[in-house]
Amino acid sequence: MNLQEKLKILADSAKYDASCSSSGSNRQSSFGNAHMSGICHSFSSDGRCISLLKILLTNCCIFDCKYCLNRKSNNIPRAIFTPEEICAITINFYKRNYIEGLFLSSGIIKNPNYTMDLIIQTVELLRNKYHFGGYIHAKVIPGADESLLKKLGSLVDRLSANIELPTENGLKLLAPNKKSVNINKVMKYVKDNRSKNFVPAGQSTQMIIGATKETDLDIMLKSETMYRNYNLKRVFYSAYVPVNTDSNLPTISIPPLKRENRLYQTDWLLRYYGFKVTDILDHENPNLNILVDPKASWALKNLQTFPKEIMTCSYYELLKVPGIGVTSAKRIMKSRQYFKLSFKDLKRMGVVLKRAQYFITCNGKFNLREEYINKGFIESNLVWEELEKSNSITNNKQLSLF
Amino acid sequence: MENIYLYHDDFPHLINLVIYLIKNKIKPFDIKPLGYKPNLFDNLINLNLTFNENIGKQLIKIIGYENFRTIHYVYLSVAVNKELIIYYYLLNYAKYKENLNKMFNLRCVSEALRLSKRVGGEAHRWKGFVRFKELQNKVLYAEINPDNNILSLVSHHFKNRLPQEYWIIKDVKRNLLSVYNQKDFYIIAGEALNLVKGTSLNENWIENLWIEFYKTVSIKERKNEKCRMNFMPKKYWHYITEVKDEL
Repeated sequence: MNLQEKLKILADSAKYDASCSSSGSNRQSSFGNAHMSGICHSFSSDGRCISLLKILLTNCCIFDCKYCLNRKSNNIPRAIFTPEEICAITINFYKRNYIEGLFLSSGIIKNPNYTMDLIIQTVELLRNKYHFGGYIHAKVIPGADESLLKKLGSLVDRLSANIELPTENGLKLLAPNKKSVNINKVMKYVKDNRSKNFVPAGQSTQMIIGATKETDLDIMLKSETMYRNYNLKRVFYSAYVPVNTDSNLPTISIPPLKRENRLYQTDWLLRYYGFKVTDILDHENPNLNILVDPKASWALKNLQTFPKEIMTCSYYELLKVPGIGVTSAKRIMKSRQYFKLSFKDLKRMGVVLKRAQYFITCNGKFNLREEYINKGFIESNLVWEELEKSNSITNNKQLSLF
Repeated sequence: MENIYLYHDDFPHLINLVIYLIKNKIKPFDIKPLGYKPNLFDNLINLNLTFNENIGKQLIKIIGYENFRTIHYVYLSVAVNKELIIYYYLLNYAKYKENLNKMFNLRCVSEALRLSKRVGGEAHRWKGFVRFKELQNKVLYAEINPDNNILSLVSHHFKNRLPQEYWIIKDVKRNLLSVYNQKDFYIIAGEALNLVKGTSLNENWIENLWIEFYKTVSIKERKNEKCRMNFMPKKYWHYITEVKDEL
């Protein structure tokens, strides 16, 4: 098998991992460096960013996870890279600025320790022989010895171990060989030992969305717990794409992309906007609203706590207004000490007035007539705006009318 | 008559002139680089000021690095009135000092911040989109076509990233070359250098390997052209190896 065929197989089987970030590290060497904010190098036709050479070391696997293309019982072509082959591709791609670095994952070959060792050999070669200073994200193989984890962590920028499913039941059903205790152990070790020489860009994980029955509440509570317990940089959500058929798998043809999008938005609210999962979801409404984004949806539910007065409300109150983000909230906090803000100023500062105007007053005044500030009116406008954004309604509906 | 002050077209000369105008309380109608083609009522003035080599460093000490970067990025932008924005930005600094960049109600401030964000954003995009080819003599060569004059910003990035290579980046729109010799980069006119024709032996093979990878990682069930176009608009495609053929 030539290198091109291998790359095709091992990139194809790695592509379902959602993580693409290359931020959080500022390594510098004679060949390559890491950029603190990360850099996207390309975008594939599914709109996802490509910043790393995302490949598996091998797609041979002793596990039989039902949702996975590489499960042992699938009859597909198998391949394995040598460490030198991976180095050659990485170096040549990096030199031409195709990529920001390497994302190396693997199926489990022989046993976890053997697999981890191959990953370490590859990364060690890149760092020590080729003096590669670009970004490296490596997968941890749960169940491997701690000494291997320690070694790998000292070579890479980011580590991740995928939790895959939010509940123990889900794992039992679809990934009977995986044990969440092993994954938790990895995450705890990384959290306890993180430093600028050990996994400087932190750790992340991923959950598959829509392969099992879990609600958005289950998923987000799991994320919240993991952020809290293990200091994760990111939790990635990956809409389930059917690649296998199995009686335990749902029969869907289109991945639940909108749901994935809403989960990411909620994730952002947890990390940067001071929200808790229980603010947004509860047992009566365990799933996110598909039509309106979670912040607007929360604001509509709590309309009685609005409007907020821009000149006097707190930073966290500003953050909870739809249409105001972290940057514009910080700008408002600074600027309002020096002059009276007008709606025009807010626009210049990056506030999306179209969304924010229902929830704020500026020096005691609304931007629109007060009779418009009622739930039904606001909700229908926000929904319409989202539909327009996702283009379907304005283009398709109008066309079908004629 | 409308007084238009001329400067030798680089950033230190511009701030040299602007600071002179502010100190001497001169209000320009406009400020333009030498070579500007005047209109009927324009009165061109070339002050031939003595140039202060350290003007940049001195200005940073006074206004701080953040403000300095803002006006530098404004200078690199394509905005036609960029010189006046810089003039009014510095004029207002005298009044508002370190609070200046919070004064969004001043047009010169909100415009300066908008433009500098745009320039920084474009430079950041190109840091990802630059595609080098290895020429026969092992020099890495790339072409870019940016709206704003971000060649120097991108060059700084690659100076840190690939310090032990020889590379050349060409701004096709402005016909400028940035040439790096393992120590520093120099920006010169496009004609000043004859480039080696033809790429190194492996080049085609590696390009194809990359294109194959690019096509493979896309998940067809998630196809979303609009999203791709949002992040990677068509105007860049001609310079991006893996999508060039899709044009």
